[in-house]
Amino acid sequence: MRRFVWNIFLVLAGLLLFAPVVIFGLYGFSTRYFYPQLIPSYWSATAFLRQLTDVRTRQALILSLEIGTVVSCLSLLVGYPAARTLGMRPFRGKSVVYMLLFVPTVVPPVATGIGLNILFLRTGLAGTVLGVALVHLIPVLPYVVFTLSSVFARYDPHYEYQALVLGASRVQVFWTVTLPLIFPGIVVATLFAFLISWSQYLLTFLIGGGQVLTLPILLFSTVAGGNPQATAVLSLIFVTPVVVILIATSRYLATDRVHGESGITL
Amino acid sequence: MTRIVLDRLHKAFATQAAPVLAGLSLDVHPGELVALLGPSGSGKSTVLKIIAGIEQPDSGDVRFGAQSLLHVPPHQRGAVLMFQKAYLFPFLNVADNIGFGLKLRGASKQQMRSEVGRMLELVEMPGIERKFPGQLSGGQQQRVALARALVVEPHVLLLDEPLSSLDTAIRHTLQETIRRIQRELGITTLLVTHDLQEAIAMSDRTALLLDGMIEAIDRPETLFQRPPTQTAARFMGISTFVTGRVEGAQLLAPWGALQVAGDGEPSHAATFAIRPEHLRLLDASAPNAVPGALQDVAYNGEFTLYHVAIGADDVRIKAYQTVPQPPVGALVYVQFPPEHLFEVLV
Repeated sequence: MRRFVWNIFLVLAGLLLFAPVVIFGLYGFSTRYFYPQLIPSYWSATAFLRQLTDVRTRQALILSLEIGTVVSCLSLLVGYPAARTLGMRPFRGKSVVYMLLFVPTVVPPVATGIGLNILFLRTGLAGTVLGVALVHLIPVLPYVVFTLSSVFARYDPHYEYQALVLGASRVQVFWTVTLPLIFPGIVVATLFAFLISWSQYLLTFLIGGGQVLTLPILLFSTVAGGNPQATAVLSLIFVTPVVVILIATSRYLATDRVHGESGITL
Repeated sequence: MTRIVLDRLHKAFATQAAPVLAGLSLDVHPGELVALLGPSGSGKSTVLKIIAGIEQPDSGDVRFGAQSLLHVPPHQRGAVLMFQKAYLFPFLNVADNIGFGLKLRGASKQQMRSEVGRMLELVEMPGIERKFPGQLSGGQQQRVALARALVVEPHVLLLDEPLSSLDTAIRHTLQETIRRIQRELGITTLLVTHDLQEAIAMSDRTALLLDGMIEAIDRPETLFQRPPTQTAARFMGISTFVTGRVEGAQLLAPWGALQVAGDGEPSHAATFAIRPEHLRLLDASAPNAVPGALQDVAYNGEFTLYHVAIGADDVRIKAYQTVPQPPVGALVYVQFPPEHLFEVLV
């Protein structure tokens, strides 16, 4: 009985997740699809192909991928040392640091965005790709730091000591031992970073000032244009990389994030 | 072969009031295995970490031979540390784990394969190159960890209770394996343990670490039979101490006069100790025997433990042979064989 209820729940949850995509699919791959029809009578991929070959779409897609990649790398670079310290070292005021890190996720992004806009205008970063990438770090970093610090909270530095005494320099230790051990955690953190940057509209809009046209910016202007088919096709283009990445990394999401789970010391 | 010299090491941690190491000095001779015995929290592991370079001392020096190591980074010291757990890299198979140190030195694949094979023979685990750490038992993992440590031909081997999480039987065989290999290779080794039996069984010399200092160091037999101080004696399982004045070959104790192996020293106040297995429980008076009341008898298989109250003192006697079994509360005599009574510093 409980199993039955659970299955129903799964089906409903699935529907909720997939229904929008299905509807986008119906709109995107059809022509002359109007109200009383349940399923389009004419199928066609022309709208999809047209949108894909559109220069603006392609540029937005590439720009979003670029910014997402830069943000992921930067957030790991900044987040790794912070997370390692927070996860492994006891120190005074740690909970305060955690809270401060959590702040960007609760403060309305409009507030931070407009505030930073002034600063970015002065430093000449407003309206630039770099400026947008930097501002994306604000919502991204908390996720990266939290994910990695939970990894480091259960991380045993003895593996590193072992490598060190066997003749590995600090840099070699990182590449040969630390990275393989925390790789699942790194994948999950990168995933968060990329996806949050990928779907960022407001901060891109505020700092980019209409000059940095990422996919969400293009999508919003298309939605405002009122063409359901263009919206559907663009939404599909927007969602596809996310789905691909999620499928590719699902095994890391499901498994334990520290390799060598038994290596816990208290 | 390398000589390890620890010179007045001091180390304190912010989280603890008392310093962990308070001027510890120790000299480990080339090719020797010294066991560092101490209760948990006595700073034993810190000593090893300082030698390996994972921790820095607040003051003092660590030398291999004449060379100070304080400014040598850990990966260039040639001191390999083994912990209570094997810490085999879980993402590498046994061969790659053992070859880890060789690969860092740019050894060829062929060289690695033959060295790994040779090491696995040495630790009596041939043919498991392709297995992963998760497929091995705790004892097997420690054998692989030993192979991984030895393959880089370290100057010194530092063992931090590597056997304490293993079953007794496996622990004993591994003690023998480590001892055999250590002798074969003549590698200077410092073993940290809280297990008296392990220290005694494995070491050339045993050092007792208490309160951040070496309380006593000697050959295990000597340290076990004749610990120099009362504190050391307690750690060696001695609980019977007799305090009094020595007059010639007599110890004038509160219970009466006891014959001791005196060598004609001038009269002085002294504390004597005796191992529990050297005391004899008798049911009738005898030379050098003191009467007391039997308090408790605990049969332990290999030996029987008797508690006898002499005056206000509780005297523990370990008897390996069957002795008369008087009822609890009975009057018994405890004999102190003079040749086993020895003076300790208080």
